[in-house]
Amino acid sequence: MTQLDWIILIVTLAGIITYGLYKSRVTHNLDGYLLANRSMPWGLVLLSIMGTQASAITFLSAPGQAYTDGMRFVQYYFGLPIAMVVICIFFVPIFSRLKVYTAYEYLENRFDNKTRALTSFLFLLQRGLSTGISVFAPSIILSSILGWDIYLTNILMGGLLIIYTLSGGAKAVAYTQQLQLIIIFTGMFLAGYMVVRLLPDGFGFTEALHAGGSMGKLNVITTGISNGKFNWSDQYNLLSGIIGGFFLALSYFGTDQSQVGRYLTAKNLTESRLGLLMNGLVKVPMQFLILLVGVLVFSFYQFHRAPVFFNESLAARAAKTEYSSQLARIDSSYKNTIASIPGWRQQIQHSNPGNENEMEDLEKKIKLANATADSLKKEYKKILAKAIPGADTNDTNYIFIRFVVDYLPEGLVGLLIAIIFLASWGSIAAALNSLASSTMVDFHRRYSKKQIAPEKEFWISHWYTLAWGIFCIIVAMFAYNIGNSLIEAVNVLGSLFYGVILGVFLVAFFMKKITSGSIVFMAALLAEIIVLTVFILTKMNYFKLGFLWLNPIGAFGVIIFSSLLHLFSLKKQSPAV
Amino acid sequence: MDESKEKIPLFKSWTHWYVFVLAFLALLIILFNLFTKAFS
Repeated sequence: MTQLDWIILIVTLAGIITYGLYKSRVTHNLDGYLLANRSMPWGLVLLSIMGTQASAITFLSAPGQAYTDGMRFVQYYFGLPIAMVVICIFFVPIFSRLKVYTAYEYLENRFDNKTRALTSFLFLLQRGLSTGISVFAPSIILSSILGWDIYLTNILMGGLLIIYTLSGGAKAVAYTQQLQLIIIFTGMFLAGYMVVRLLPDGFGFTEALHAGGSMGKLNVITTGISNGKFNWSDQYNLLSGIIGGFFLALSYFGTDQSQVGRYLTAKNLTESRLGLLMNGLVKVPMQFLILLVGVLVFSFYQFHRAPVFFNESLAARAAKTEYSSQLARIDSSYKNTIASIPGWRQQIQHSNPGNENEMEDLEKKIKLANATADSLKKEYKKILAKAIPGADTNDTNYIFIRFVVDYLPEGLVGLLIAIIFLASWGSIAAALNSLASSTMVDFHRRYSKKQIAPEKEFWISHWYTLAWGIFCIIVAMFAYNIGNSLIEAVNVLGSLFYGVILGVFLVAFFMKKITSGSIVFMAALLAEIIVLTVFILTKMNYFKLGFLWLNPIGAFGVIIFSSLLHLFSLKKQSPAV
Repeated sequence: MDESKEKIPLFKSWTHWYVFVLAFLALLIILFNLFTKAFS
């Protein structure tokens, strides 16, 4: 990074912290600290919802995902608009009417305290761990690419935002998220623009799309059907996106306090609904555009020789091992394989439009070269895994940032590094605020034997925010020592618990005859056992199933077990004839 | 806030809003499908 990059990075981050502190000065009570005095307009609610969902990995990983696997990842978001509608109809009016601080408070009104405590505990468990990973995941990428110390990067990534989150609570979180998203979108647009600018003369946006499309990168819609059968292990297709994505989004936006806490800050029901519905309108196009940047980067590398492995610091470590000669041999073959692609692309560009055969022949050559390059990359990763056991050989998250650091002009690099920080801060700050809310309201206040003064509650919430912030940084530090397996585990952690939590809420909303908290509590435990069993069986390769399907299994599990236990209890109560 | 007294922006009822959001999703899926076919 140059001096200009450093200045832009430091000024942007310091500006956000100062702005957050400035907005904090009017927060003096618990309602203000946890829910911004329920005063936010829909625009801020929308940006806060988006800023909470979009972490740094969204902006780092999505372009890399499109580069390697194409744009089909966008289907993962197809269930989201449907979930927004369902939440607006059934969830928001109840939360709004009861004036709850947390979603789980409602479950005590509807069932009993233990059901509330169970769901809140599951939330704290998975959100606390996943927020720690949200600190670690971008930190490890930045430290690898820029050579920064990982522990210091973790502290910067997870620590600086605590300053304004601790002082201003929900209001500071919402206002900083607004500014963060404006900077993020500006930076991503500039990055997309620069990719097209850096393409060779005569090769513009449309040509880049054709180049990506011919290599299968514009596979936005896929059916998941192969050889006449639906592939249940296929992660991203139309059906899994709509059904699995719907349940995941319904659980996340309807029952995860980090999101519920955002729309509870709205000044009334209308503003909450508008914020959520607008999210349903803009989220899918936004993800489409971020993925499109990845396809443009792919087309760019058709002319600029992509490295065999994008995480160069890991490759450099492997080069110092006994496997260095094997890795060098593969790297050399890879370079030879892709060397002709730019020339063939230029030939297609300048060939006579009437000469279809020549163009087809060139396209075939490019496809073959790319396919060979892909298999060499796989071979390289296999050797890399042997050279450094336990290392993360998936370089998808490094593709976009490598391009930024290597090819974008001075200043823009600093801005895009700042974006990684801001995107992280937006989601982590909201998570810390919601973790503090649930701990304070669902446990501390609920189980405190003495009446706590409002002023004291306000200050205790500050301590919980700080404590969760420190917890998340500690998780990030441990993640580095434990390695990649933990990250993978935490990535699916949400799907292990979300479905069950959603199931409890669905029973609460739609099965009015079930009033016993004990029945729902038992059903939730049984459904959780089923979800964990299915997950373990898939990990042991007994059968294959995409992790998104765990959400509907958990939700329907609670509904089915609740119904059965309810029927059983009715039979027990009714006298024998 | 009393739900029945809500002033709904742009549309007459929330149902219209919901239909609009779902119709927009359907439109996006159709357009994405055409996009996929055009560039594959």
